[in-house]
Amino acid sequence: MRIILTFFALVILFSPACAREENKDKVLDIKKVVSEKGIEAWLVEDHSLPVIALQFTFKGAGTINESAEKQGLVRLLSNTMDEGAGDLTAQQFQKALGDHSISLSFSAGRDDFSGSLKTLTRHKDKAFELTKLAVNNPRFDEEPLERMLQANMARIRTSMGDPDWIAARLFNDIIYEGHPYALNSGGTLSSLPKITADDLRHFHRKFLTRDRLVVGVTGDITADALKILLDDVFGSLKLGETSAAFEDIQPQNAGQIFVYEKDIPQSIISVTLPAMKINDPDYDVLRVMNYILGGGGFGSRLMEEAREKRGLTYGIYSGTAHQNHVDIMKVSTSTKNQSAKEMIDIIKAEMTKITSDPVSENELADAKSYLIGSLLLSMTSTDKVASILASLQADDRPIDYLDEFENKINAVTIDDIQRVAKRVLTSKNMTTIIVGKPEGLSGVIQKDSLPNVE
Amino acid sequence: MTFAALPANAKVFNAETFTLENGLQVIVVPNHRAPVVTHMAWYKVGAVDEPQGLSGMAHYLEHLLFKGTKTLAPGEFSRIVKRLGGNDNAFTGQDYTAYFQSIAKQHLPEMMRMEADRMVNLQVPPEHFKSEKKVVLEERRQRTENDPKGLFGEQMRSALFANHAYGTPVIGWMHEIKEYEWDDIQKFYNSWYAPNNAIVIISGDVTADEVRPMAEASYGQIEPKELPKRLNSKVPPAIGKTLMTLSHETIHQPVWQNIRLAPSYGQNRQDSLALQVLEEIMSGSATTRLYQNLVVDQKRAISVGLSYSGSARYTGVITLYGSPAQGVTLEELAADVQAQIKAVIKDGVTQDEIKDAVQRLQDSADYARDSLSGPAMTIGFNMLTGSTLDDIENWPDDIAGVTAEDVKRVAALYLDDDNPWRRVSVTGHLLPISEKEEMKADNKEAKNEGVE
Repeated sequence: MRIILTFFALVILFSPACAREENKDKVLDIKKVVSEKGIEAWLVEDHSLPVIALQFTFKGAGTINESAEKQGLVRLLSNTMDEGAGDLTAQQFQKALGDHSISLSFSAGRDDFSGSLKTLTRHKDKAFELTKLAVNNPRFDEEPLERMLQANMARIRTSMGDPDWIAARLFNDIIYEGHPYALNSGGTLSSLPKITADDLRHFHRKFLTRDRLVVGVTGDITADALKILLDDVFGSLKLGETSAAFEDIQPQNAGQIFVYEKDIPQSIISVTLPAMKINDPDYDVLRVMNYILGGGGFGSRLMEEAREKRGLTYGIYSGTAHQNHVDIMKVSTSTKNQSAKEMIDIIKAEMTKITSDPVSENELADAKSYLIGSLLLSMTSTDKVASILASLQADDRPIDYLDEFENKINAVTIDDIQRVAKRVLTSKNMTTIIVGKPEGLSGVIQKDSLPNVE
Repeated sequence: MTFAALPANAKVFNAETFTLENGLQVIVVPNHRAPVVTHMAWYKVGAVDEPQGLSGMAHYLEHLLFKGTKTLAPGEFSRIVKRLGGNDNAFTGQDYTAYFQSIAKQHLPEMMRMEADRMVNLQVPPEHFKSEKKVVLEERRQRTENDPKGLFGEQMRSALFANHAYGTPVIGWMHEIKEYEWDDIQKFYNSWYAPNNAIVIISGDVTADEVRPMAEASYGQIEPKELPKRLNSKVPPAIGKTLMTLSHETIHQPVWQNIRLAPSYGQNRQDSLALQVLEEIMSGSATTRLYQNLVVDQKRAISVGLSYSGSARYTGVITLYGSPAQGVTLEELAADVQAQIKAVIKDGVTQDEIKDAVQRLQDSADYARDSLSGPAMTIGFNMLTGSTLDDIENWPDDIAGVTAEDVKRVAALYLDDDNPWRRVSVTGHLLPISEKEEMKADNKEAKNEGVE
């Protein structure tokens, strides 16, 4: 894992792609593959390019399991698993990856821990061998651990001037107050140095277990070849013991406005509300409602009002985020400090409008046709497809979930939208967080220090 | 060129191309994995072509292309794309302005018709011209002014590209964006937006045979224009060292940066290819020279790198950067990096390094096709910054032609601080306030070595 620090902004806007071959009735032709030792994977075969992507997730093995004392532990684990494994030192391992143009990386989510592999077919065996080593026998040697620690410390110090990063720190602390989600999954300047190789070993042994594993694979590989590789990579993982259960929470501090004063020309604003779980019967309605309100970018109501009509912002978006223990809807934007109050008033007015007046037939039809039509565009590269396959399993979705998507979206009615808007968009439930020097707001709570940084 | 792809002698994309009578070039990259396409229109005009004093106009015009034509209302373009299940956007650089949609393939004729329409029929209601100006000012605040490091980066480029439009940021200076009027923009649009100043690229589930009639029915109906003469002011030599320092309360991690001129691909193809291999050898992975030596072995830096950007209509840039380890000053880190370069200048690189670097670069070309929009992006970007389509298709073979001797030679020519190419590089220091004060203390009491 090489962490690159630089302040030259790199703007990459694009999504790659892939998809359907033989079976034209299905969005993706997903096969369930079960190896001899019982490892299960969802596979989409695609032999049009010599590329294979693998995404694997250990459910419930995320940063939620960290203590405040050692926040950042799982991030550090994700940085060090590819820094030496088995007989290979960190540099030998990285050289083997580089020399074979293999991308292997790990990532620490709040709920889950994941790994991603992308390789050319001709290096398939080497790629799976290195993945096996990293997953089963990471070394956590002193040198790479210290190096990754320093890189993370530098990352935090570099981010401390970034208003969006500051806003994210406040967001976690305020919205998830009292819950493990409130911690900084990237660690703090004081917590990271406390994390030892034994801590990493202990977490690795306890949480990266076979009972938590889901696997998605796409590309130039057959089911039979995959079965052998699945056993090879994951077949030796142990079954896990039960771990701590966590409580569900609602977003905290409803009705409050928090301001972290910073001398910048814009106010960075977020408005958060409680939403529903992904298995709620209204989840698909929520998606459509969100698209109309602010999820769609250009053409969404918030973008029309705030950007197109008034020129108040470069962008305003709404979205939902669903964790195992909390579900939120969030509106994010930035505007010059003088317009902060006007912007918040617009957000409230649009919430009220979609709650009290039915959306038009055309608006609903346009939202449906976008959501259905754009589904394929989210599957245009092997790694994207592998990632979707793993997420579907992590969310306990059925294997035909994508095929049902069109029907579910088409079933949404105007009344459904209004009902769900009433359920979610209640202004007394809003928690507002602002970084900048907003003008015209009253009754705000000033935040003077940043939580979970030092 | 920046991307990666294929067995030896294979073309990277196997693109097909034809040119309409009005001069518009069309390129098609067939990719039949899914029934979708990405359609891009690239104009050979960007920020570099703006008249002095009107910076940011090319980018502002890009915004206005979503604000209506003689037959489409403001915002309608994107609404139609969305309704058809597609995504659209646009972007502006120094050398180009590009517009694109990704969408189900049956909608391609409609996309081409709409894109051709706004090539010549732009009509923006005055109130939208005004409100969009505010949007661009907010964009500049968000991208640049919210973080002093953004302003500092602009200042560094200004110093390097003295007397050249590359020294002006693409988004424009705040005070100039506020000034220009619709007439200025319209003149710019009328001058540069023409079929003979554009390339249309389509990647996805189509062939050139299918695309040709669609292109003739849409873009083919537009008359070519006589294009304005392009100005190319040259960057003069500079003999003094430029060191810029920013100490700011928002900076907590010291950073060293150094930028210098280098030839672009169009200016010097051979040297540009060699610089790409040098970049890969110095900075291509966690086990290449800079990271291996300075971060892993010597513990002098936390991060370090070399980046060569040779895709430019005019001159390219090499950027060196790093964050020092505790106890190492930015000056010391600069010397360490220069020592790494001197080692290449003196002893060259090994055959193994060349072989590994070339292999990684060629492999990246294999991955380049694993994307819908990626091939259209790569081809457009490189064709508007000095490459031909053949250059792009044959890039893996050309890269393989670079020798150890080439790499050694370009390191000496373009990266030797004692013998700079054209002008001395520009160095930037980002420092926390406390370190600056400590440095002052150091200077005042030079003998007080207890101050860290």
